[in-house]
Amino acid sequence: MEILSNLTPMFFALTAFGVMVGIVFGAIPGMTATMALAVCLPMTYGLDLTNGLALLLGLYVGGISGGLVPAILLNIPGTPSSITTTFDGYPMTQKGQGERALKVGISSSLFGGLFSAVILFLFAPTLADVAIKFSYIEKFLIILFALTVIASLSQRLLVGLFSGALGIWFALIGTYDITDGGNGEYRLLPDFLVNYLDSGFSLLPVLIGMFGLGTILQEAENGVREEAVDSVKFQKGAKFSFSIFKGQFVNLFRSSSIGTFVGMLPGVGGSAASVLSYTQAKNFSREPDKLGTGEPEGVIASESANNGLTGGALIPLLSLGIPGDSTTAVLIGAFTLQGIQLGPLFIGENTVTWDVMMVSLVFANLVMFMVMFFAIRHIAKVVMVPKFLLYPGILMMCVVGAYAINYGVMFDVWTLLIFGVFAWLGQKVGLEIAPFIIGFILGGQAEIYFVKSLESFGTLTIFFTKSPIALFLWGLIAVSVAYSVHHTIRAVKRKNGGNGA
Amino acid sequence: MEQETGPFSVSIDFDQSHLFFPNIIHWVLVFLALSIVLVHGREIVRHVQGWKESYREHGLDYDRLRLFGTFGLVIAYFLLMNWVGQLFPNTGMGFLLVSMPFMALLSLLYVHDLDRKKFLLILANSVIAPLVAWYVLAQLFYITLP
Repeated sequence: MEILSNLTPMFFALTAFGVMVGIVFGAIPGMTATMALAVCLPMTYGLDLTNGLALLLGLYVGGISGGLVPAILLNIPGTPSSITTTFDGYPMTQKGQGERALKVGISSSLFGGLFSAVILFLFAPTLADVAIKFSYIEKFLIILFALTVIASLSQRLLVGLFSGALGIWFALIGTYDITDGGNGEYRLLPDFLVNYLDSGFSLLPVLIGMFGLGTILQEAENGVREEAVDSVKFQKGAKFSFSIFKGQFVNLFRSSSIGTFVGMLPGVGGSAASVLSYTQAKNFSREPDKLGTGEPEGVIASESANNGLTGGALIPLLSLGIPGDSTTAVLIGAFTLQGIQLGPLFIGENTVTWDVMMVSLVFANLVMFMVMFFAIRHIAKVVMVPKFLLYPGILMMCVVGAYAINYGVMFDVWTLLIFGVFAWLGQKVGLEIAPFIIGFILGGQAEIYFVKSLESFGTLTIFFTKSPIALFLWGLIAVSVAYSVHHTIRAVKRKNGGNGA
Repeated sequence: MEQETGPFSVSIDFDQSHLFFPNIIHWVLVFLALSIVLVHGREIVRHVQGWKESYREHGLDYDRLRLFGTFGLVIAYFLLMNWVGQLFPNTGMGFLLVSMPFMALLSLLYVHDLDRKKFLLILANSVIAPLVAWYVLAQLFYITLP
């Protein structure tokens, strides 16, 4: 067995090391799995292919998983994909169930990660065949579907849609890039900012600014009181037991599947998976109104989906050479460093590497579970640090994250401030942050797919007539919109009924 | 390629194609904004009135010192970091030297009921944290810092 000669103690040690570093990166707000990978990429220069992959996959799994810690304990998503974990995780912490929420999240992460690894292994070639058949039209419809998800996430349907559209608007700022088939002209940009914004605002500084600095400004306005931290009864909170998953297997299975499937779609990855699965959990829940108030159900949906993403995003990466998100984009860099060309031929020509990757992925998930489950008290110590020590530290790390992401651009640091202030003021007038972010992430791709489709076919009807897949996607969009409209009307009626009584 | 004709046909002028999608988004934004006014108009008016009333009674209720202090410190931090960084290029010194006082001042701004123990904690934190971050990131991992 050739594969056994590759599975050295060093291989397992590097995977475990990667997982632990990844968790720390994921757990520090403003640092992400992408950063963890980018940071450790130079370390793989000195390693061979299998060991390099072991380290990177460990970082990937750890980085994605670590995001749940600040999401649950601080209401700051450690990674973009843990946005939805804050919806129920943080309310659970406020109720004194912090440890329970964390362990629910960790267990769901393990399930999602292993589930997606199995799917990756069994169906990589077949599933990649489905994804490769998607033209720009189907890709645009997938994004449109993800954007309609915004509607059911918002408190007010219209305000949510407006925030989403505003996010798309911000994503369009800058050059209409020639490499994307654009004409290279600027738009939505005054002349004096052209030097800074020719490729638009970078995603990470925007995210870090809105969630990091925005939160700190909010706290500063309220006087940075310490009670909130003191009231977190993390140690004496409700006990965790696996019986919490009773009746949640459909949710686990559905969310992991959504995570894997969304991860698989090139370009759509990232936070779309957890948002979509959270919405579906809400749609299918017996008590949808309770979601968002601290239900384990919401944490399960979010965390199993964002770890389902790990295996899913590797499918187009390994079979087509297309990254599903920014994290897997960094992985492509790692493969290139090792002289491996990713594409349809990769798996067939590198069966040993493929098997080694699978072992590493499964092992990384197991290590993630062991480390987080049994050492969560120590990892979660970050929440015990008083705010007057924590916030300056977070701000410092936000600056590092923003500055280093594009290798030293000072404007990215100012982006932090711009979007921090924007989020802080925006929330005062009712702006919905999550839809804004989703719009911002997906906006650029939506434009390319939409405009290119029209340029090629010259008619709007093509979005309906292109393929049965397109029609199926329209069906999904219709169901999603109809459901959220129905849900809003029902909520309004209930509220009015409640007021009248 | 033959051009489609019919009520749904669209042709995009390549020279202006960079404005095609943004224009659609502008119309979507206008449409949604008008819908919000139509649907939630009364709610908004009531909200603004309520806010005006509470302003007349209590004035603006927020922590002026901590809020504007944060703005001032953050802006000074960003400016100074870049300036000091240019004095010692490619060393991350701008980050290290400016982060220490910034963290100390921000902590002192945020802390309530300052005592000796808290003061020492703040000092230790604002020296150790930037030092560790700088050493691990700039020295071990060669990450670009200001």
